[in-house]
Amino acid sequence: MAHQTEIGHHPPAAEHAEEQTTTGINHRKLLMWVFLSSDCLFFGSLIATYMVYRGQSLVGPYPVDIIDVPITTISTFVLLCSSFAMVRALAATNEDRQGAIIFWLLMTAFLGAIFIGFQVYEFNLFRAEGLRIDTNLFGSTFFTLTGFHGAHVTLGIVWLLGLAWVAKKGRLGPRTALDVELAGLYWHFVDIVWIVIFTLLYLIGGFDTGPAGDPSLVPHSITSLFGLI
Amino acid sequence: MSSDPGVHESRHPTLKQYVGIAIFLFVVTIIEFVIILPKDFRGAGWTIAPLAILSAIKFAAVIFFYMHLKFDNRLLTWVFLGGLALGFAVVFALVGLFGTFTPSPRAWAEDKAKPCTLDHEMGGCLEDKIRAEPTPTPTPPANGIEPTPAPGPAPDGGLVATGRQIFITGAGEGAATPCVTCHTVAGVPEAIGLLGPDLSHIGTDAANRQPGVSVDDYLWESIRDPEAFIAEGVERNTPGLMLTAITAGLTDADVDALVAFLKEQK
Repeated sequence: MAHQTEIGHHPPAAEHAEEQTTTGINHRKLLMWVFLSSDCLFFGSLIATYMVYRGQSLVGPYPVDIIDVPITTISTFVLLCSSFAMVRALAATNEDRQGAIIFWLLMTAFLGAIFIGFQVYEFNLFRAEGLRIDTNLFGSTFFTLTGFHGAHVTLGIVWLLGLAWVAKKGRLGPRTALDVELAGLYWHFVDIVWIVIFTLLYLIGGFDTGPAGDPSLVPHSITSLFGLI
Repeated sequence: MSSDPGVHESRHPTLKQYVGIAIFLFVVTIIEFVIILPKDFRGAGWTIAPLAILSAIKFAAVIFFYMHLKFDNRLLTWVFLGGLALGFAVVFALVGLFGTFTPSPRAWAEDKAKPCTLDHEMGGCLEDKIRAEPTPTPTPPANGIEPTPAPGPAPDGGLVATGRQIFITGAGEGAATPCVTCHTVAGVPEAIGLLGPDLSHIGTDAANRQPGVSVDDYLWESIRDPEAFIAEGVERNTPGLMLTAITAGLTDADVDALVAFLKEQK
């Protein structure tokens, strides 16, 4: 146990040390990982559905008409930033820096909310341009997959705000660091799911055209603001 | 060992490492973005492999450092990678099952697709109801009489074109049922309906149907009041269907155009 006091290693949460389990892993932590493992299957089936129906839409709008890679790259950065804020929140909890705990938890939730803001903007834009969940197979699979991801992020934001409220009452610290750690695991998982979705739906699938390769289909104009196209 | 409950690992990377990983994730994302920046590269097949690899690297960086699997009990890594592997299996299985059909699902659907004109009163497709009824016998040739094309004034091309349009797509806006749903006309690819008589030669037939009735009057009556005179050999499967479903909504101008078009079918 001596190594736990070394510089760079945080003292273990009391709950960890007290709980004796046959696996040596705290039950709550193991359960969280099992849940995340099962969530891989959840998103796996939605991703598979998207891939199966990719390029099968009979009517537009098609991805190339409306997918905006630059703006989604920005929201991807925002989500990556939020993961960094999350690890800072956990570090602050382990170091019992009360102000920093609240700050980083709120920062994480705030960045997550910005990501959701981007998604709301994107969904509204798509709807305005004629893509609804029942327009074509692209719309159905796109909104279902990204919508469920957005729901995960939203749930995470609620969780983080709840933790910030608990932190404000001074109840978070090294002894209860697992509370923050579990929220962090969930939050990072949502981040890696987005890494996959961003690559698949935007970087790879975002330029898919319709059946005839209609030449009138042009990438969304907002990208021209960046002078990139 | 990691299985020793007494030394449950809860170590985390240092701040310096966290910052390093954040920068690393940023840089990889920028590389991904740069890959698809040139217009020719977008959607190109070869970009899939590097993008997937970069995405996997980011994925691994987050789970092993931000989620500190690298520093945690090894069992957790297996629990998660197990689920991830099953997730991949689901993707490969479904894509293998449904994504590699020949012909492609879209080609298959296009092949099986059928036109559907909504029946706003009864629901369903008018075409289905028409198909469900027995196919009528086509009109026999008109009495074997050699048709004599009546030389007349040059037909009004604009009116004929309008009539043809109405014949193919129906009059007015919305889902009006067009004549082609039930009538065949040689030379009009859309006109392949079988419920009503073949109108390929109605321009000549009409002259011989009713003595003393001009072609214009005969055609006009046949559209406005389809039941008034039934040509020999034509069976009315659903009396009144043509009037109520289609022609009652036509204006006089529409009928004029249709008559002009039908007169030309000789």
